[in-house]
Amino acid sequence: MPSPLNLLPLCQLSAGATARICVINGDDSFAQRLREMGFGEAALVTKISGRTTSLCQVNGTRIALNHDAAMAILVEALPAGVR
Amino acid sequence: MVGNPNCGKTTLFNALTGLRQKVGNYPGVTVEKKIGECYSQHGRPMKIIDLPGAYSLAARSPDEAVLRDVLFGRREDTPQPDRIICVLDAANLERNLYLVHQILDLGRPVIVVLNMMDVAVKTGLRIDTHKLAAALGVVVVACSAIKGEGLVELKLAMSRSDLPLARHRWDVPAPIAPAVAELQASLSDADAQPPLIARAEALLLLTDFESVRIAGSKPLSARTAAVLTTWQQRCAREENNWSGTLIRSRYDAIDTLCGEVLRRTRPQELSGSDRLDAILVHSVWGWLFFGFIMAALFFSIFYLAEYPMNWIDTHIAALSSGIKTMLPPGDLRDLLTDGVIGGVGGIIVFLPQILILFFFVGLLESTGYMARAAFLMDRPMSKVGLHGKSFIPLLGSYACAIPGIMATRTIENAKDRLVTILIAPLMSCSARLPVYLLMIATLLPAAALPATWKAGLMLLMYLLGTLGAFGFAWLFKRTLFKSARPLMIMELPAYQPPRLREIIRQMVERSWLFLKNAGTIILGISIVLWFLTTYPKHPDPQASADAQIAVSFAGQAGHLLEPVIKPLGFDWRIGVGLVTSFAAREVFVSSMGVIFGVQDNAEHALPVRDALRAARWPNGAILFTPLVCFTLMVYYVFAMQCMSTVAVVKRETNSWRWPLFQIAYMTGTAWLVCFAIYQMGRVLGY
Repeated sequence: MPSPLNLLPLCQLSAGATARICVINGDDSFAQRLREMGFGEAALVTKISGRTTSLCQVNGTRIALNHDAAMAILVEALPAGVR
Repeated sequence: MVGNPNCGKTTLFNALTGLRQKVGNYPGVTVEKKIGECYSQHGRPMKIIDLPGAYSLAARSPDEAVLRDVLFGRREDTPQPDRIICVLDAANLERNLYLVHQILDLGRPVIVVLNMMDVAVKTGLRIDTHKLAAALGVVVVACSAIKGEGLVELKLAMSRSDLPLARHRWDVPAPIAPAVAELQASLSDADAQPPLIARAEALLLLTDFESVRIAGSKPLSARTAAVLTTWQQRCAREENNWSGTLIRSRYDAIDTLCGEVLRRTRPQELSGSDRLDAILVHSVWGWLFFGFIMAALFFSIFYLAEYPMNWIDTHIAALSSGIKTMLPPGDLRDLLTDGVIGGVGGIIVFLPQILILFFFVGLLESTGYMARAAFLMDRPMSKVGLHGKSFIPLLGSYACAIPGIMATRTIENAKDRLVTILIAPLMSCSARLPVYLLMIATLLPAAALPATWKAGLMLLMYLLGTLGAFGFAWLFKRTLFKSARPLMIMELPAYQPPRLREIIRQMVERSWLFLKNAGTIILGISIVLWFLTTYPKHPDPQASADAQIAVSFAGQAGHLLEPVIKPLGFDWRIGVGLVTSFAAREVFVSSMGVIFGVQDNAEHALPVRDALRAARWPNGAILFTPLVCFTLMVYYVFAMQCMSTVAVVKRETNSWRWPLFQIAYMTGTAWLVCFAIYQMGRVLGY
């Protein structure tokens, strides 16, 4: 398990970096929908663009999240080249 | 027919039924179920229902709730389908299988369609359809709806009378099982649901406490509702995360399945769409591109449309002059030239521009850029308390507010949806185009100024409407509809080359609608208006046209209205136009054609803009000064002048309250803003 110190909100992940989703905060209905879309814990995301509104690639699809949503998702950044 | 958004359901539906439902490359094209018919291999008719796209049966918005309730047999207007076609985007198998997994629970005959198989193969995916069919216990068909591949196989499967019932190797996770069993028993006893459907519904009810309820669906029986409440309270007390457990269990099953049937011939990497998106939604390049698209739109509306417009204009004028030389002077001749040609002809001139607008909107829709525009707009939208998804209905409203308002059904939050509905008609729709163009033509003499000025003035009107929409969204979100800023999750579909045939078909459809309107409503109003401006006749048959129209019915009514609109610089003749154009905004142009055409008794028919330039106040002052033209355009930016929109808002909000509120706030704003502009303009000496 990664130490909690390495976690950062998805909106702060830099463009082009890949990370693993660790914690989903926010209300239940939001978390449920994210997980249903394959955006659940342990999924790998690659950030494509954006600091306020984020665009991420998960499992071959592009998902856009607004700032509040991207704040609610904590990820662990992976070293470059891991995919 | 069910599936995730953007998996190509509607394309497949059209290919099967020969129907021409609208297809787009953005979520929310199908917001209501659509029914079509096709014939089985044995010639028996089959009804196909195209349901809105959804990621899950746990509905978050009204369009997704339609899907859930139809499948559970809870819609009063739709019987439970006897077979379910699950459409999947083969390039994104895992996520698409989640909805399939939920649907397999129902134990109905299911056909799994792997659509866009060609794209999947190109990205290096190999799917073993035989293994997939064996594992799920259903028929699996690979196809590509756009290319028409695999349709015969699909029709063959649909025609089978011995379709197997879905069965899959998956058990309800242990922690939820007791609750599911009790609720299932209640659902089959008290709600008369078949056992497997009862189990599927129980699973959903227990893991989706915040599900959306819609009108027209059968509610739960009292007994089931009581059982559900008990378990919900217990779940909350014990802080169980049933929904998380269930989703994980389903995804575990899907992962195992994909391990068996899915092979990658090369590692997953960023696709072309991903790389394009890195530029097109970039905070600098993205906006530049967006601006470029908009500029191209406005310029082509002015430059390109000019040639066909002049052509139509000349022919209409020739027709009118021809009739004037052929027929003896009299009421019949006036009815034809002033009423019919003056009214309808004045409108048809704008067809080329409307076609260009729909071409651009079609281009944005079919390539998938629409969703990117929503992404870019998320930040400005968040400043007024809405999220980017609300921008898709607003963008659609540039063409017409009616499909825009329908598209709000994809918005999860009810308050946000209502705010979006309320502001959508402020986006300048295609019906305003003729009004703006007529005013710009009157305001700026054709030869004197380059088209840049005209396009700029037009752009200003569009900006004004958009800013107004944002301003009111901000106001409404702070007063009437206070709610937290919504969290947005939105999928951006893969870019696709524009489907020109689809775009042209839509353009033809829209122009037909436009011409039909011109031939029916606008023709009718023009004739009635001509009658109202011609009768009763002035006692002196030699009276001038001005004197005649002043004593007519329209003149009398207009004079009653004049005190209200005079502070805006409008006279009673403009007032008549404002009233008639409540039916639809473009009627203003035809009304001006009739009113000022009637006044112009010369043998040559003048284009409406020249007739307007010649119009005077009784004291001889010019009526359509640049300031009045500008004020009038601004009036049309804000005023709610569309009966069809009122009807749609009534239907979508299920009450008269919101459409009436909308008329009041929009037209009220229009009056106030025009008053301010006109009075300030006067003070400044314009």
